[in-house]
Amino acid sequence: MNILVEEEKPFSQRPEWADVVPLEQYENVAPLAPIFYTDEYKDATNYFRGIVKSGEMSPRVLELTENIIRQNPGHYSAWQYRYKTLMALKSPLDDELQLMDELAIKHLKTYQVWHHRKLLVQQTRNPGPELEFIANSLQVDMKNYHTWSYRQWILAYFNDDALWSHELEFVESMLESDVRNNSAWHHRFFVAFQSGVRSGDEDRDAIVRRELAFLQAFVLPYSLPQPPLGTPPEVDSQLPCVAAVEFMADIHEAAGGGDLVKATELWKSLANEHDTIRKRYWEYRIAESLKT
Amino acid sequence: MSQPRRSPHDSYETETTDHQTETETILLKHLPLNPDLPSPLQRDAHLQFLIRNLIQGFPSRYISQDASQPWLLYWTLQSFSAMGVALDPNNKQKAIDTIMAWQHPDGGFGGGPGQAAHLLPTYAAARLGGGWDQIDRRKMYKFFVSLKQPDGAFLVAHHAEVDVRGTYCLLVTVHLLNMLTPELLEGIPGFVMSCQTYEGGFSSASQPYFSPEPEGPPTLLDFPRPPLGEAHGGYTFCSLASWTMLQPYLALQKPSLQRPSLNFKTLLRWLVQMQGSEIELGGFRGRTNKLVDGCYSWWVGGCFALLSSLGIVGAHGRDDKHEYATAHQEDEAWDDIDDSLWDRAALQRYILCAGQHPAGGLRDKPPKPADSYHTLYCLAGLSSAQHNVFLSSTRQDAIVRCWKTPPGRSRSFKSETTHEQLRQACFSHSLSWTEEEGTSRILGAQNNRMNATHPVFNLTMTHTEGIMAHFYQQTIPSRPKKT
Repeated sequence: MNILVEEEKPFSQRPEWADVVPLEQYENVAPLAPIFYTDEYKDATNYFRGIVKSGEMSPRVLELTENIIRQNPGHYSAWQYRYKTLMALKSPLDDELQLMDELAIKHLKTYQVWHHRKLLVQQTRNPGPELEFIANSLQVDMKNYHTWSYRQWILAYFNDDALWSHELEFVESMLESDVRNNSAWHHRFFVAFQSGVRSGDEDRDAIVRRELAFLQAFVLPYSLPQPPLGTPPEVDSQLPCVAAVEFMADIHEAAGGGDLVKATELWKSLANEHDTIRKRYWEYRIAESLKT
Repeated sequence: MSQPRRSPHDSYETETTDHQTETETILLKHLPLNPDLPSPLQRDAHLQFLIRNLIQGFPSRYISQDASQPWLLYWTLQSFSAMGVALDPNNKQKAIDTIMAWQHPDGGFGGGPGQAAHLLPTYAAARLGGGWDQIDRRKMYKFFVSLKQPDGAFLVAHHAEVDVRGTYCLLVTVHLLNMLTPELLEGIPGFVMSCQTYEGGFSSASQPYFSPEPEGPPTLLDFPRPPLGEAHGGYTFCSLASWTMLQPYLALQKPSLQRPSLNFKTLLRWLVQMQGSEIELGGFRGRTNKLVDGCYSWWVGGCFALLSSLGIVGAHGRDDKHEYATAHQEDEAWDDIDDSLWDRAALQRYILCAGQHPAGGLRDKPPKPADSYHTLYCLAGLSSAQHNVFLSSTRQDAIVRCWKTPPGRSRSFKSETTHEQLRQACFSHSLSWTEEEGTSRILGAQNNRMNATHPVFNLTMTHTEGIMAHFYQQTIPSRPKKT
């Protein structure tokens, strides 16, 4: 490992790369809408095209592809070739994962960073540390789509009771940070209802009751803040809550019969006062309910 | 216009409401004084923005897009098309030469010369006009087959991720380039269905489970088959557009097989919920409790036409509506003709008042800079909000009547017949999208009017006809003249 950081020479000036023929991107074409590459990027990608052509899979290819993905983490061909090289060389994948930990901090939003981890973990078969890594990533960007869906994949793919065992706790901690985080709610639904039946969870009605109890205990206090004892109650909630009105209407609609009148009244209030942008939709709901 | 209400935070603020409040404060400044007189569409400024990219090129920070060169070109050229501007012959040829340099020797297109073949650049490259005969469809088909997974999904490239964007890109490509086969489509409906979440929108992918069989391949289980990731505007568009394209294929399945379906009730609700309130100028968000963004004007705003075509919403877009529409004055109240379930005027207001960057190009939201991706999807969204484009059975019949069995094909082999049946059905379905005359609603000046766009392919109808006539070797009857 280099302790001294020195300016890296371009590949074109490194004697150990002299045997590789670098290839320009466009040979006979002056492309429309060109990108103004830096010299550094042009140099690295010219050498990448060179080794792809020759089919070389060696340790120096790992160095080259790392260089490229640091400059452009979206270069999926470099990632693809890197993976194939790692497999061909039977490289130690834990080291690779450590490198990925470092890259992910800078480049969270590219698909490729997460997908590469997925490929590696399928080889290492060691998903435990991934959950911790994901949790740390989410501290920085708590709604990152790739991060959450990767977490769901880890759980679903390995389907190991030990992995599942702390998930509800994890979701709760994310909701304590931000109760409005829809990614966290989605994850909770996935854990509770969409990932099959784990041992101990066979009573599905009990699961539903557990979730309802969770909502009552967890969500309601946030929507109606409790004032200290002795002070007059402060109602800080900005009522009516549109989602709650809709929910009430759904309940009345499901009840049917005379309840449909109540549903209609609620939908009308949404259409005309509380959620006017969706006026046409609420009127549609009224019309649909009259058809049944 | 009195100041619209802020979104509530119940005196319990979290990061979500902090971002929301901040965004609303900015968007408030872009509210037009008169809601019916939004900022006019600055066509010239947007064209100049796009031309600069095309001719001068992209600055070095676009290195991050080096693997998306087909996208950069597609976003730019399609934006021109949306504004009714064509490339001059010189640049048109340059475009073709550039695109063909992205074709991979083993089939498909990559994000740049020498890059690995990938479904998304293949989609972006295939739809550009020209160089058609240089596309190696045989190798491209083999490439697609090599990506197909047992659960009906496709990898986007070798060793790459599965997601429904890949499904959409592949389906559009095979429709346009006449590469449809039942073998390729098998299993796709099940995969698309499995991406629908409890919220009603769609996720990026799902996780398959298989049960081992004593003989033969393992069986795909119906449950569990969890979606991976929450309901998201981009994936929802890709899923719904894919589902729309699969309709002719599903109709050709043996009737004894149970026709699978989506939950349209929750999907409609989710789509409608994604529209921002008046304080957000009616723009669309892509996920629950996240911020509005101009690109969802297309990804979410564009879903309603698809839903209508599936017979879900209202009665809008019937052939006989033509008579009703032309009998009325153009200045008839908006509501009388528009039976959409979302606020189309409000979306136009968002795009025009918040989406346009003062220096040219369109954007996510103020004060972000413009980029070609947002330029296209804001303009495409503007088009969906202005026009009703529907599947016309009259048009479909006309196309089917003109269908001729392609030369060199024989009807004596069953697989040939099945292939031809499928291709004819998809061909006519794809081309029967029709702009409903007299029902366009342009907010503000007529100069704000965009060309209508194909709700599945996001190409103009003319361009779609051009590509498909070529690859299917069919004559497409001209459309009846507008009255």
